[in-house]
Amino acid sequence: MEDIKMGVFICHCGTNIGGFLDVPSLVEYAKTLPNVTFATDNLYSCSEVGLSLIKEKIEEHDLNRVIVASCTPRTHEPLFRSICQEAGLNPYLFEMVNIRDQCSWVHMKETEAATEKAKILIEMGVAKALLLQPLEKFQIDINPTALIIGGGIAGMTAALNLANQEFKVILIEKEPELGGLLRYLYKLYPTHDDASKVLEVRNLVENHQKIKVITSTEPVKIEGFIGNYKVSVKRRDGIYDIDTGIIIVATGAQVLKPEGLFGYNGSTIITQLELEQLLKENKINVKNIVMIQCVGARNEERRYCSNICCMTALKNAMLIKELKPDANISIIFRDIQTQGTTYEEYYRKAREKGITFIRYIPEKVPIVKESNIEVYNDYLNQDISIPYDMIVLSTPLIANPDSEDLAKMLKVPLEENHFFLEAHVKLRPVDFATDGIYVCGSAHWPADIPEAISQAYAAASRASTIISKDVLEVEGAIAEVDEDLCVGCGICIKICPYNAISMDDNGIAHVTEASCKGCGLCGATCPEKAITNHHFTTKQILAQILASGGK
Amino acid sequence: MSFEPNILGFLCNWCSYAGADLAGVSRVQYPPNIRVIRVMCSGRVDPVFVIEALATGLDGVIVMGCHLGDCHYIDGNYEEKMKLDLLSKALQLIGLSGRFRLEWVSASEGVRFGQVVSEFTKQIKNEGPSPFSGSKPNQKLKEDLEAIKRTLSDNRLRTLVGRERAITEFGNVYEEIIEFEEYEKIIDDALNSEFLRNKILIKLEKEPLSVKNLSKSLSIESSLILEHIVSLKARNLIDFNRIDGITPYYHALKEAL
Amino acid sequence: MGENSNSVLVIGGGIAGIQASLDLAERGIKVELVEKKPCIGGRMAQLDKTFPTNDCSICILAPKLAECYRHPNITLHTLAEVKEITGKAGNFKAKLLQHARYIKAEECINCGICIEKCPMRVDDEFDVFLRKRRAIYIYFLQGVPSIMAIDPEKCLYLTKDACRICEKVCEREAIDFEQKDSEVNLNVKSIIVATGYEPFDPSPLVNLGYKHLPNVVTGLEFERMICASGPLKGHLIRSSDRKEPKKLAFINCVGSRDMKYNPYCSSVCCMYTTKEAMIAYEHDNSIQSFIFYIDLRAGGKGFREYIERGQKEYGIKYIKGKVAKIIEDDDKNPIIIYEDMNTSKMKKFPVDLVILATSMIPNKDTPELANILGIDLDKNNFFLSNAYLPLDSSKKGIYICGCCRGPMDIPNSVIDASGAAAKAAENAIREG
Repeated sequence: MEDIKMGVFICHCGTNIGGFLDVPSLVEYAKTLPNVTFATDNLYSCSEVGLSLIKEKIEEHDLNRVIVASCTPRTHEPLFRSICQEAGLNPYLFEMVNIRDQCSWVHMKETEAATEKAKILIEMGVAKALLLQPLEKFQIDINPTALIIGGGIAGMTAALNLANQEFKVILIEKEPELGGLLRYLYKLYPTHDDASKVLEVRNLVENHQKIKVITSTEPVKIEGFIGNYKVSVKRRDGIYDIDTGIIIVATGAQVLKPEGLFGYNGSTIITQLELEQLLKENKINVKNIVMIQCVGARNEERRYCSNICCMTALKNAMLIKELKPDANISIIFRDIQTQGTTYEEYYRKAREKGITFIRYIPEKVPIVKESNIEVYNDYLNQDISIPYDMIVLSTPLIANPDSEDLAKMLKVPLEENHFFLEAHVKLRPVDFATDGIYVCGSAHWPADIPEAISQAYAAASRASTIISKDVLEVEGAIAEVDEDLCVGCGICIKICPYNAISMDDNGIAHVTEASCKGCGLCGATCPEKAITNHHFTTKQILAQILASGGK
Repeated sequence: MSFEPNILGFLCNWCSYAGADLAGVSRVQYPPNIRVIRVMCSGRVDPVFVIEALATGLDGVIVMGCHLGDCHYIDGNYEEKMKLDLLSKALQLIGLSGRFRLEWVSASEGVRFGQVVSEFTKQIKNEGPSPFSGSKPNQKLKEDLEAIKRTLSDNRLRTLVGRERAITEFGNVYEEIIEFEEYEKIIDDALNSEFLRNKILIKLEKEPLSVKNLSKSLSIESSLILEHIVSLKARNLIDFNRIDGITPYYHALKEAL
Repeated sequence: MGENSNSVLVIGGGIAGIQASLDLAERGIKVELVEKKPCIGGRMAQLDKTFPTNDCSICILAPKLAECYRHPNITLHTLAEVKEITGKAGNFKAKLLQHARYIKAEECINCGICIEKCPMRVDDEFDVFLRKRRAIYIYFLQGVPSIMAIDPEKCLYLTKDACRICEKVCEREAIDFEQKDSEVNLNVKSIIVATGYEPFDPSPLVNLGYKHLPNVVTGLEFERMICASGPLKGHLIRSSDRKEPKKLAFINCVGSRDMKYNPYCSSVCCMYTTKEAMIAYEHDNSIQSFIFYIDLRAGGKGFREYIERGQKEYGIKYIKGKVAKIIEDDDKNPIIIYEDMNTSKMKKFPVDLVILATSMIPNKDTPELANILGIDLDKNNFFLSNAYLPLDSSKKGIYICGCCRGPMDIPNSVIDASGAAAKAAENAIREG
């Protein structure tokens, strides 16, 4: 049994604690607690003087547990831990007790009661510290390679950036060539540059010595964890394994084919994507063109707004106007989505060019007749009739059908429309909850070219934070499975928010140290109580409960 | 002297503990009855911790975490809610649910933290001293609490709760999604029957008893007791002790513990 | 600092600047993060909650602030401004003006004793002037670095050579009136601009009555009003009679999509008014909200569903209408006079409180900074970005991200920031 020698340092924090609590009596009390071999007060524990005192006393009294009772561990635990480390003590043998923010400052008029509370808090700290175990941070070797799945504009952009940062990049694409949807576009908004000009990045990617492009290839199996993924891919001639440190998902999306909607026929009634092809071939030879927005979107089946179709329609309308100034173009819309500075300006220009905008409401959708469209206009409160030679349907981008398989392989979630679901909508928009896997472009949500490019750079940046390291150091306070107790029920695997637990070949759960964030959910849930959450063990918490004054 | 309750709080590091710190920085004043155990996520709080706290004689226990949707660990607090809802039901069975509360407090809610603690302290003052503190703890209630603790420690209920979200949201292995209400009922039934079985077991650990004895001391119909005796026997937790006249007596199998 | 230092200058310590800095620092690149205010956190720190998840803003931001402060690769320069940039990609020289804080950073423990004693009441900028702070202050409660600053324009000693009471009461002797503004010179390889936005001041739109009618407030003011750590401690009352408003009207596109002020769409207002209406309802289920809009713009992930939820679960009513004027009745209840765009009729609509969804506009000093950096502005005075390389400014080695290049929401700012970090890293390595 280890001989525990505990040192307790109680901070006055000037008068912030000392002015409201009886600090000397706390010191005396601490001295009576088990294994406390040294206790003292400090005017300011976090000052240079305070810190050197702690260091000095650790050495002088051979302390192997240290408690500082002062402010909040949220701000000061890292500082005190590092001082312990400097004195040769494992930083996890440090425990902090909050007697300022949660005691002296909130019970300012009750010195006696607050001092009693502080005693109990210190006793709880001592109870926990007695059971603290030294923990080591884990070192994980990182394979400095990036695998990017999907060779559209997002995948290519990410690949090029990472390669230019001198990382090795493998770019796999299921089609025989790179380029994705960009290949089918004519000109881009808002500048009307040729899509082929932006597609030139393809040459840079294909000729970059740090990038290996593998086309006609799809992943079939993905194993491993951050820094060490093994991806099996299928090519025409067999299955190959790729070792990589991180994975970027850039698999894009598809354009919905509006079968059965508004008389879609692929000739006179077509999609915006089919229109792009006609524009490319300069085959527009009709006068009256009507575009209908939100075809197959914002309805019961697909509640979402596809984000990019309004601008696509506006752009194609403008391009037709450029080619055929006498064309009559009407856009039947629900809400025009032209956020931001340039898109709103573009919308204004479209109106100035004489493109007609007619709003419709979902309760009264436009009716396509043989040569005209009837649409109810609520502003005029009447049906209006618009003649057409060609109808262009703006259909949403929809998730790729193989997203589901890929998500299963990666063990990452999809949202309800089957786009990939990121770790956190606000602050981790291109990360997955599973470390070392990222997403960008329309695989994440319908994105236009500039958005896909920004996201690709973002994903590359996130990836570079991992593969720039030789080894990744991960937190020591994580979960561990007791193999003798585990019955392999798999509940922990399902509930772990980070996919950090997996089943080994013997049907026993195993924690991937690199992925565990130490939340403790598994330990509180395990039916067999086979999981230890280090630094927050059941024993430690029960000891704190017992010391909390319930006698 | 007026009754000053001892209250224990479990606070998650990222929201509620931060909210408590903010209360400090803002000098929000609240009663000093609460002592806090910091955990990284409210999801770490095993319902058994709460039972243990009550069993030691603490007068009240409050668990605080991030608001639903705000969890630093994605969805730890949803899992916690499932567990603690069950705990509340279990505590209701023995009339102790007023001593426990689950609250969501964010890092910006310093004032609210103070309010919640003040309210809860008042609530516990109304509840009065813990039946397990003082010189004469309530023995019968203590047995009941022990039965609850065993029920919540037992793998049967833990398995059901552990799978709750998975099954009600994503479906079981056959991809059948069981309605939340239906699943709740399964869990409630399991809670009630496991609680009773544990009560029987605790009685039988002390002395061999007949179905009739048990029925009398637990105030439960003998047919129901018999049902559970059969099941406990099948699980090898109890055995025949002797037959007295025509009445069989049972005892707990120590090694089952 | 040596010529070959592999470092990047990040200008602006809001969520974009913070994310860019953290990514670069984790990537192993040194970051010099410059923030004009006494604390990092930016606009996001002022928000109560964020759409479409309704996450508590400071809850998710605070860990990032702490990380930024502690990261060994990040040097924070708060109360600092960029004054001069010379050189080119791979070898920029930056001159910063470091304003005096009058506080010894390593001594201050944010105990607040000085604040209690300071006699000067000053409008609190962080709380959009809804309450007073003192001349010695912490920029916001959860601010980082969590230390005081003295406002030199308001401090009695610094303006009138009197007082110095903070110095007397500070137990740590952390007050230092001897501090002077100073110059900091840095060598960096790349520059990221993340200076954010400011909200449009709707006072010139006299028809909307802002500042004349007490119960007409801006979105940011409302955000502070409902925030638990705001001036009303989250208890929503209106200033005219301190009563709880029950009927709220949100007016979208205030100062945006308006040729007279800002022709562009401010991108976030449709969503943030929905969010604010939701939070109001969560505070008090008897509150009913009406949102006046022109087009409902909700193209982001989960945004359309969010608006549907607002309608179904929170009873928010959306009115397609152009607001002509806001007047008030004898009880100071605002009355909205608007054109119903569904019927083209003029209508009157009395409410208890009006919230103006004011547009995001470029920071006042954007042109000056553009000049210092030698980069172009767009016609709205946001930094000009390249259409298909949206993070590139007009100058090599200088990248722009977040709202300083156009209005955007938090996820897009974070995406931009990480993206700019990738570009800055690429530049630092290639030009290294």
